[in-house]
Amino acid sequence: MVRRSGVLLKSAAAGISSRLAEILVCPLTKQPLRMCEKTNSLISDSIGVSYPIVDGIPRLVPSDGIILQSDQDLNSSDPPQTNSS
Amino acid sequence: MATTLQFALPSIAGRRRRPRPDSRSIIRPVRCAADRQALFNRIAPVYDNLNDLFSLGRHRVWKRMTVSWSGVKEGDTVLDVCCGSGDLAFLLSEKVGITGKVIALDFSREQLQIAASRQSERSKACYKNIEWIEGDAVNLPFSKSSFDAATIGYGLRNIVDRRKAMEEMYKVLKPGSKVSILDFNKSTSSLNSSIQDWMIDCIVVPIASGYGLANEYHYLKNSIKEYLTGNELEKLAGEVSFSEAKFYEIGAGFMGNLVATR
Repeated sequence: MVRRSGVLLKSAAAGISSRLAEILVCPLTKQPLRMCEKTNSLISDSIGVSYPIVDGIPRLVPSDGIILQSDQDLNSSDPPQTNSS
Repeated sequence: MATTLQFALPSIAGRRRRPRPDSRSIIRPVRCAADRQALFNRIAPVYDNLNDLFSLGRHRVWKRMTVSWSGVKEGDTVLDVCCGSGDLAFLLSEKVGITGKVIALDFSREQLQIAASRQSERSKACYKNIEWIEGDAVNLPFSKSSFDAATIGYGLRNIVDRRKAMEEMYKVLKPGSKVSILDFNKSTSSLNSSIQDWMIDCIVVPIASGYGLANEYHYLKNSIKEYLTGNELEKLAGEVSFSEAKFYEIGAGFMGNLVATR
């Protein structure tokens, strides 16, 4: 019980509940998303796109996705750059 | 009566007033998804109050019927698509209780902000089980067979690719689960259609124009004309593989609810 509460609290601090995290997938690929706590966003690794979470609400409209420029963006602590092209 | 009611409503118009346009010159088609998204963002501040006004509060009854038809029960994980300001989501959360979960999705950021505000103002513990998602009904961000029930209220008519939306809802429902779809009824009765048109032209649009929203509510009439009849909705549900589909006319035939089972 205590460990489950801890998991829930951790996910809540990151912006979404663990139950929600189990259901959410990339709207385009339908593949699982990875939570990135540093940027408070959901990463679709298969297509290198990041979906932001703002005020606790995940923005998962495909056009909300930000293309991650490089492998470095996928792992870096800096927020991903907006694709300028 | 309309004047008295208007004084009782928030004076959003004071901040948004612009010269009343000649409606014939400025009516623009609201065709693409981006136009519709912008429309729902614009009406968000007055959406709830105008729903109450135009339906004389009856929309609350129809929404309870929609929730009941979805088969939702305590402990379920349920989805509300095109949740808007959250009416159906709040009703669903009362049914699923604190052990259940409601995922509510909309593509209008402004509607979701209002929904989240309403959630924080309410004290019932079950409302904390609602999660708001900004998302697109034709590209649902949920894994297959995730939900015990789904609802969509006054949303399907506004979706450009309705077949795709129905396919998406089918995939995310668990086998045997239902989607309950409430909307205006595109009636096959010419009397009903005429009365519906008259009510929109002579009541809805004039009142909405007081809020600078004539164009937005004129869209309503065209969207009903372009929508599907009950029979067509049942047929569409069958085509995307729902095993059963039944359409119910409610609200004196002005509204309708499709119930489709995966």
